[in-house]
Amino acid sequence: MSVTLAIAVGLLMGVVFGFALEKSRVFEPGIIVGQMQMRNFIMLKVFLAAVATGAVVLAALNGFGYVKLAPKAALYGADIVGGLILGAGIALAGACPGTTLAQIGAGYRDALFTLVGGLFGAVAYSYAEPALSKTFLGQGGGKLIFSDLAGIPYWVGALILAAAIVVILVALESWRPWRPELGNDVDGDIASTLAASAKTIHIVPAE
Amino acid sequence: MLTQKAWSPYVAGIVIGLLQIPAFLIIETALGASSSYVTIGGLIASWFDPALLKIGYVARHVAINAKNWWQVALVGGIAVGAFVSMKMSGARRQAIAPIWQRALGSASPAKRYAVAFFGGFIMLFGARIADGCTSGHGLSGMAQLAVGSTVAVAAMFVGGIATATLVLRRI
Repeated sequence: MSVTLAIAVGLLMGVVFGFALEKSRVFEPGIIVGQMQMRNFIMLKVFLAAVATGAVVLAALNGFGYVKLAPKAALYGADIVGGLILGAGIALAGACPGTTLAQIGAGYRDALFTLVGGLFGAVAYSYAEPALSKTFLGQGGGKLIFSDLAGIPYWVGALILAAAIVVILVALESWRPWRPELGNDVDGDIASTLAASAKTIHIVPAE
Repeated sequence: MLTQKAWSPYVAGIVIGLLQIPAFLIIETALGASSSYVTIGGLIASWFDPALLKIGYVARHVAINAKNWWQVALVGGIAVGAFVSMKMSGARRQAIAPIWQRALGSASPAKRYAVAFFGGFIMLFGARIADGCTSGHGLSGMAQLAVGSTVAVAAMFVGGIATATLVLRRI
């Protein structure tokens, strides 16, 4: 495929991605930090809904032979060490690599610093990569997927995952309905919303 | 619907998940975001240090091919999509989200910018060690039932929860 066409497709897909991230409010620092402090579960809801949808889509596309899967190799040392550092970064940035751009689009100025920090981080890793890939971080197995371990076709495993996620989401939604989690300013700032409503309720009438 | 301030997280999640269809059918790859930071960062850094391109990892990421630049366009498109969605709903954001004053215990923009820069730095350093982020390992890896991706996502949440609980203040 030509690079120009790939860029056009990427832009179009990115606009849809950014639109959905903005509408879901999952890009809000209040929702991401709120998730990591276990006060707000919108991030988990969006994430699991997207994983389940992707699993159903890929079960069909792969099951009918239209596409090959492209899982990443299982590098446990790198997955654990990298994942822990990445998670710490997500909490401090209040964003992940994709939602940083949604924050910039929505007008958060600090996200520009996150972006530049991210570019420096990627370049720093690039300099370190030849050395790091010789350590335990470069060691690992092949492209291992759970359905192969269980000895079932991928599409069956993917549909089981999607069904399990639906059950989890139904339970999550009945425990924590999503609307109150948005807050008054749809930014996941539940504490301010609660404080504002407390003020309205406890206001003392003038004489 | 397009002018609403918020959608149900389930509807938005389904839209995001459906993006795997064009990704796999047209580009023959899965959704991802963090490689594009190597493409752009590596390209810019190579203007100052051309020797950087001798590192195979960098050369692979800055190469002009469909996958590399599709992802750069995808990530750039996210900013455009979020901007358009925001304008259509009429929502307005402050320069810094109000939660940061509580999370950092300081209203200083300089402190927030420094934390954002550091957070962004380790976010991408970690993502590149793990070979993927919330999109590549999370959305795509878990949907493909990848064992390594599931381990990476678990580690991300452990690192994120520990940091948000121990380093940041209650928001």
